[in-house]
Amino acid sequence: MSYFTVFKMRIRMELQYRGAMIGGIACQMFFGLILVALYRALYAGKPQSLPFESVATYVWLQQAFFRMMLASDSELVDKIKSGDIAYDMCRPVDMYGFYYARIMAQKLMGSIMRAVPMLVLASLLPMGWGIRLPASLPGFLAAIPALFLGLLCVCALENITVAFTMKTLDPRGMQGLLNLLMMTFSGNLLPLTLFPESWQKVITFLPYAQLLDAPIRLYTGSFMPNEALRIYAIQAFWVVILIALGEAMWNANKKRMIVQGG
Amino acid sequence: MSYIEVNNLKKDFTVKKKREKGKLLREKEIVNALKDVSFSVEKGELVGYIGPNGAGKSTTVKILSGILTPDGGDVKVGGIVPWKERKSHVKNIGVVFGQRSQLWWDVPIIDSYMLLRDIYRIPKGDYESRLKELTGALDLEPLLRTPLRLLSLGQRMRAELCGSLLHRPELLFLDEPTIGLDAVSKLSLRDFLKWENREYGTTIMLTTHDMEDIEALCSRVMVLGHGKKLFDGKLQDLLERYDTVRNVNIKYDGEMADLRLPEGIKWKQTEDGIELSYNPSDFPTSNLLGMLQDAGNIRELTLQPENTDHLIAAMYKELDL
Repeated sequence: MSYFTVFKMRIRMELQYRGAMIGGIACQMFFGLILVALYRALYAGKPQSLPFESVATYVWLQQAFFRMMLASDSELVDKIKSGDIAYDMCRPVDMYGFYYARIMAQKLMGSIMRAVPMLVLASLLPMGWGIRLPASLPGFLAAIPALFLGLLCVCALENITVAFTMKTLDPRGMQGLLNLLMMTFSGNLLPLTLFPESWQKVITFLPYAQLLDAPIRLYTGSFMPNEALRIYAIQAFWVVILIALGEAMWNANKKRMIVQGG
Repeated sequence: MSYIEVNNLKKDFTVKKKREKGKLLREKEIVNALKDVSFSVEKGELVGYIGPNGAGKSTTVKILSGILTPDGGDVKVGGIVPWKERKSHVKNIGVVFGQRSQLWWDVPIIDSYMLLRDIYRIPKGDYESRLKELTGALDLEPLLRTPLRLLSLGQRMRAELCGSLLHRPELLFLDEPTIGLDAVSKLSLRDFLKWENREYGTTIMLTTHDMEDIEALCSRVMVLGHGKKLFDGKLQDLLERYDTVRNVNIKYDGEMADLRLPEGIKWKQTEDGIELSYNPSDFPTSNLLGMLQDAGNIRELTLQPENTDHLIAAMYKELDL
């Protein structure tokens, strides 16, 4: 109940930041165009086995859901730094779940607000630049639960970053490192579909590939709809592992908790 | 058994120091925030908890509210060990940290209250009547739909207090609740706390540096210093022990003769008289009065009791805090 209320409140807070949304869309459109231009140049020099349209679609979906991946709740981090987190510890709620709900609201609303207009814009781009329709209707339908499982996964990852912040009291170091891993292995910098085959065998099993790469591959047809259950299983496996890890870190932190500043 | 039982409470913090030149590792220093603190508080008591900066007051409050785990000692609040059964403990307590905020910065305060309602599972009817009562007493009605960031410090403090009391806690911790408030806000806050304590028998533990808060609210006061409890009893007893010096202001009519006062009496000349301070147990008052009368025609004599802050400062000094 209270988890749902904090979720709702965080969504309403996110809706207030419309300026940030417009800025974010402009920024992600710019990055999308640059990346597509880059891959066009790459393909012009040396065509890859993967069809180019699928790469462009991959890039646009990554950019559209950027907010789901690399956006931390600065207010949450500030709470830890300033010690206002003390108040949250005086509540009869499970702290991990409470923050999970908050993170999820931000990531869900933040990415929907940006993804919808961006996907419209990206579909209006000329042939060979923009996003392509899904490979098939079953593929598209299969991608939706995968995206949701990806969201659960990324929220659990973010909560682990928050748990690290409680340890170090400054988010920058660990966040920087974890974000780098995330950028690289989630397919944000370079579509995972362009990695060497042998690498992909490993990378697609890592937690980072479960966030956006899995749903995007279902969308573009690089994973067939009949593989969906296997993919959901891998995603669900990581959701369970990451939540368990995050909870364990939170519980350990509680024992050695200090509250800064009086 | 008392409502709050604290026995031999200990808490250490490790402070890492800046690395010194020529040394490979940073030195660590263990700060004993609480060395050995014991006390008990009965239900419905209003207890003041004072001590200089860094004495361990806030640390005690954080342990009692289940945020920190101590390094030693036993604590029971209503039969519950706060940090072990955090969730069931915090249901019954309310906390106000004077320099922190529990309400959401960007949203109207009523929305933050609704979140608190859901967190504490307050039944709807109960929530509404309690909110009405608190907003009335704290004069918050006109501010409910204002985002927190637009409120002044005093308004925010009242809003925070309302948020901490919505779930009718049986125990309330106030950590410097009057910090930065103007005189009117302070007075109304104190009145409100007294009312809440009387009306509902809420046990209140207050840490503050404002001695007027203590004078106005607390019958019992505990003094903490260097991580130890140094005094526990009535505020009056505490003051009497250190209230040794009397300040006297005398004005003379016309000329005043050359005045010679014995050593141990501090005095200085003013425009039309003198100001002096003396200790009645060192020097008999009637003797002093005689000397003063010999010096001229006294027009006016005022006695000023020592300011509480000075007394506390004298106490801290004597206890080497």
